[in-house]
Amino acid sequence: MRYRFSLLLLVMAGLVVAFAPLPVPTIAPQERTFEIDAHQFAYSPSDLHVNPGDTINIHLTSTDVVHGLYVDGYDISVEADPGQSATLTFVADKPGSFRFRCNITCGAMHPFMIGKLTVGNNSWLYRSIGLSILAAISFFPLSSFSDRKTKEERIK
Amino acid sequence: MKRPELISRFLIVTGILLAVGAPLFFWARTPLIHARMAEDGGWNPDVIQAEVGEPLHLKITSDDVVHGFAVGQMEMQSVDILPGKVTEVTLNFDKPGIYTFFCTRWCGLNHWRMRGTIEVSGSPLDPEPATVPLYVSLDLDLDAPHDASAVPNGKPSATSGQLLETNLPIDQSAEYYRSHSPYEVFEGLQNTSLTEAQRWDAVAYFWQSNTTPESLANGRQLYAENCAACHGENGAGDGVFADDLAAAGESSLQTMEGAMDMAMQTPVDFTNPQRMLGASPALLQGKILRGGMGTGMPMWGSIFTEDQIWDLIAYIYSFQFEYQH
Amino acid sequence: MNRIELTRIPFIKNALKNRYPQLAVFIVMLIGYIFAILAGLIGTPVGSHNFSIVFVWIAWWAILILVAVPFFGRGWCAVCPIPLPGEWLQRGAVLSPPDKKPKWLNLRVPKMFRNIWLQNISFLLLALFSSVLLTTPNITGIVLAAMLFSAIGLSTVFERRAFCRYLCPVGGFIGLYSQTAPIELRIKDKQVCVTCEGKPCYNGSSVGYGCPWDVFPGGLTKNTYCGLCMECIRTCPHDNIAVNLRPFSADLTKPSTRMDEAFKAFIMLGSAIIYAGVLLGPWGAFKDAAYNVGSSSWFIYAIVFLAIIFVVLPGLFTLGIVDTKNALPLKQRFASLSTALIPLGLMFWVAFSLSFVLTNASYIIAALSDPLGLGWNLFGTANATWQPMLTSMLAPAQALALVGGLIWSARTAQKAAGEVKVSSIPVIVYCFFATCFMLWLLL
Repeated sequence: MRYRFSLLLLVMAGLVVAFAPLPVPTIAPQERTFEIDAHQFAYSPSDLHVNPGDTINIHLTSTDVVHGLYVDGYDISVEADPGQSATLTFVADKPGSFRFRCNITCGAMHPFMIGKLTVGNNSWLYRSIGLSILAAISFFPLSSFSDRKTKEERIK
Repeated sequence: MKRPELISRFLIVTGILLAVGAPLFFWARTPLIHARMAEDGGWNPDVIQAEVGEPLHLKITSDDVVHGFAVGQMEMQSVDILPGKVTEVTLNFDKPGIYTFFCTRWCGLNHWRMRGTIEVSGSPLDPEPATVPLYVSLDLDLDAPHDASAVPNGKPSATSGQLLETNLPIDQSAEYYRSHSPYEVFEGLQNTSLTEAQRWDAVAYFWQSNTTPESLANGRQLYAENCAACHGENGAGDGVFADDLAAAGESSLQTMEGAMDMAMQTPVDFTNPQRMLGASPALLQGKILRGGMGTGMPMWGSIFTEDQIWDLIAYIYSFQFEYQH
Repeated sequence: MNRIELTRIPFIKNALKNRYPQLAVFIVMLIGYIFAILAGLIGTPVGSHNFSIVFVWIAWWAILILVAVPFFGRGWCAVCPIPLPGEWLQRGAVLSPPDKKPKWLNLRVPKMFRNIWLQNISFLLLALFSSVLLTTPNITGIVLAAMLFSAIGLSTVFERRAFCRYLCPVGGFIGLYSQTAPIELRIKDKQVCVTCEGKPCYNGSSVGYGCPWDVFPGGLTKNTYCGLCMECIRTCPHDNIAVNLRPFSADLTKPSTRMDEAFKAFIMLGSAIIYAGVLLGPWGAFKDAAYNVGSSSWFIYAIVFLAIIFVVLPGLFTLGIVDTKNALPLKQRFASLSTALIPLGLMFWVAFSLSFVLTNASYIIAALSDPLGLGWNLFGTANATWQPMLTSMLAPAQALALVGGLIWSARTAQKAAGEVKVSSIPVIVYCFFATCFMLWLLL
C-alpha cells in the first residue's frame, strides 16, 4: 500500500517536472545578426543562443566549397558559395534547442557538419535532468532497504 | 543429390552472379565524367573528343562537393554537378577547335584549376581570323606599375559629372575609353575651368556613359560567381581565399628563389584608387585574359567572351565610381 | 517468470522448423550484401548517394539498433548473410543433411580465444576508423568484403561459426544487448535434455546440424551466445526447444561474472558517448581529428577514445564500488555491477541513432532508385531531396530513451547489487551522471 502510494507520488512528480509550464521571462524581442563561417566540416561560431521571438539574421559565408545551413525544427535553409555569402532571416518563435546542419553535400563528413541553436531555455535538457534526478533518488530508499537486508543476512 | 539441394544451389549461385554481374555490366556501360576538387584530380577525363555537327552527350557526376560545368566562349547556361548525382549535358559545336570546359561553382582554393578541354574536329577548317585583343594591339606591358599619381578625395559621382557642361574635351569614342585610364582622362581635362573634384566627377560620368545597366548587372553576376571568392564581395581584395593565397605564396617554391612576382599573392584590392584609376580598360582586359602567371589569378581568355570581359571591367570600375542607379 | 511460448503457435513453429523460409531470406540477404560490397567498390564515392553507405549505415543500422536488438535480441544474427558461404562450404551442402565426415580442418578454437575479447578488439578497430568507414563507400565495401572472407576463412579452419562467435565486431554487442530483449530461445524441460542421448542439438543428426554457435541449448541461461539460427528446433528429437516471449531484460537478473563481457559494456557505453560528442556535437576540431586517420590529431583522438573506454569509465566505476566493505573480490563485483550498464548503453545507442537516422533516412529513398550513383531512376525516386524527418519529435524521444534507460539501468543495478550483496547507490549515481552527460551532448 505504501509502495503504491509512493509510486503514485513519484509519477505525479515526474509529470510535473516533464510538463509543468515554466514561467516565461519576458524579454523584449530583438534583432540579432550572426556572422557564420562555414568550412569543411564545421560552422564557426557553432553554438548560438537567442531569446524566443528574436529576429535572427544568419549571414553565412563559405570559405572553401558550397555549403548550406538547414535549421532542424524550423525547416528553413540557406546556401552560400564562396564569394557569394547569403543571409537567412527568420523569427525564432519555437523555443528549445535545435541542431543546424549543412544541407549541401560538401565532402565526406558532410552529414556531421552540425551547429546548435538554442532558443530561450533548453527546456528538454533541464526537464530530462530533473526527471533523471527524480528517478535516481527514488531508487535510493529501495537500495538502502536492500542494503539493510544484506546487513541482516550478514548478521545471520 | 536431392532436388531441393540442387535448386537451392542453383538459386544461390545465380543470385550471386547477378548481384555481381548486373551492377558491373551497367557500370561498365555508363561512361561518366567525374568531377573532383582540383587537388584530388579535377576532371576525369579532362580531354574530350567531339565532332562538328555531332551532338556531344555528356554524363557528369561529382565525387565530392558541388561543382558546375560550362564551356568557355560558348553561349551556354552553366549546369550544377551535384555529388553522387548525374547531370546530362548535350553540346553542339559548329566550329572546330579546342574548347575549355571549367568548373563554375567554387570548390576550394584551387577551384579555377579545374579545367579540361574538348577537342572538336571537323570542317569548316578555315579558321576565322582571330581578332587581336586591344591590349596586344596597344602593346601594353601588363606587369608594369600603373598607379595613378593623383586620386580623388572621395568616390567621384557620375550624377554630379552629368550636371557639368556637356562639351568637355573628351573623345567620346569607345576606343578612347578603352585605351585610357581614368587618371589619363582626368589629366586630359586639365585645361578646363573645372575643379579637381569636378574633373573626377566628369570622368565618373564618362565611365558610366560607356556602359549600360545591363552590362553592369551582367558584370556583377560574373564578378560574384568568378572573382568575389578572392577579390572580395566588395572588391577590397579580402575574399574568403585571400588569406589562403597569401599563405600559399609564402610557402611556395618561387619565393624561395626570390621571384616574388611569380608566387601566389594576395588578390588585388579593387577599392584602391591609385591602382584602379591608373588602369585602362584595355590593361584590365589584358590582365583578365592572360591571368596572373602564377600569382593565383586565373587565365580567363579561354573562358569569357570579349563582351563578358568588358561587362566585368565596367563592373570593377564601379568600386571606384558612384554610378546612378 | 511468466513467459509465452511462441513456438506453440503452429504457424511460427512451422516457419522456424522448415528450412525454406530462412533460406529464402538468406539468399535475399546474401545478394543484398554482395551488392553492397560491389556498390561500395564501384559506385559513387559520395556516401550519401551510395547503396553501401545508405543501406548499411542508415537503413540496416536503424533496423538493428532501434528494432532488431531491443525487441528481437540476436534476431539479426538469425538472418545475417556473412557466415553463410563459409558455413555452406564447411557443410558441403546448403540443405542436405550432413554426412558424418567433417569437411576442411574442423579444428576447435583455441581456449584462449574462446571469449569475446577478439570481438571487443575488432569492434574498437572499426570504431577508431568509424568516421571514415561511415562516410566512405570504398572503405565500407572493403570492410564488408573482409568480414565475408574472414568468415569463410575461419569456417575452413575451425569448426562451427567461429567468426560469429569470436570475431564479428557487431555480434559482440548484439549478444550483450540481446540479454535485454523480450525474445529468447530456451529448452522447455531440463530433464528431457539430461536424459537425451547423443545430444543431436549440439552434435547434429540426420535432420540438421549441431549448434553452429557452439552452445548446448540445454545449458542456455542467457541470450548472449545463442544466434537464434533455429538449428536446434530442427534437430531436437523431443520437441524440447521453445522460442519464448518474456519480460524485457530477463537475463540481467543473473549478472555476468566475465571481464570480457563487463568491458564490452564499457566499450559500448563509451563509444555511444564519444560518437554523440564527436559526430553530432558542434565541435569541428573533433570531427577533423576523427576523420583524418593517420594524422597526429587522429592519434590523439584514438588515445583519448581508448582512454575513455579503458581508463576513465571503468576507473570511475571502480572508484564508486571499491569502498564497499564486501567479502567478494573487486573483480567479481565489477563484472556483476557492470550489468547495469547494459540497458543504459543500449538506450544511449538508441538515443544517438535516433538523431542520425531520422535526419538521414530520406537518403534511403533516393538511393533505392540510384544505388550506385550512375544516374539511374529505377523507382522514380532518384531525385528525392534530403529532408530530416520528425525533427520536432527528436528531442522528446531522445529524452524519453535516456531517462528510461536510466530507470532501467537503476533497476538492473539493484538486482545485480542484490546478487553480490552490495549497495547499488554508487552504480545508480554513476549511471545518473553518465545519463546527464549524454543528455547534455544530445539535447
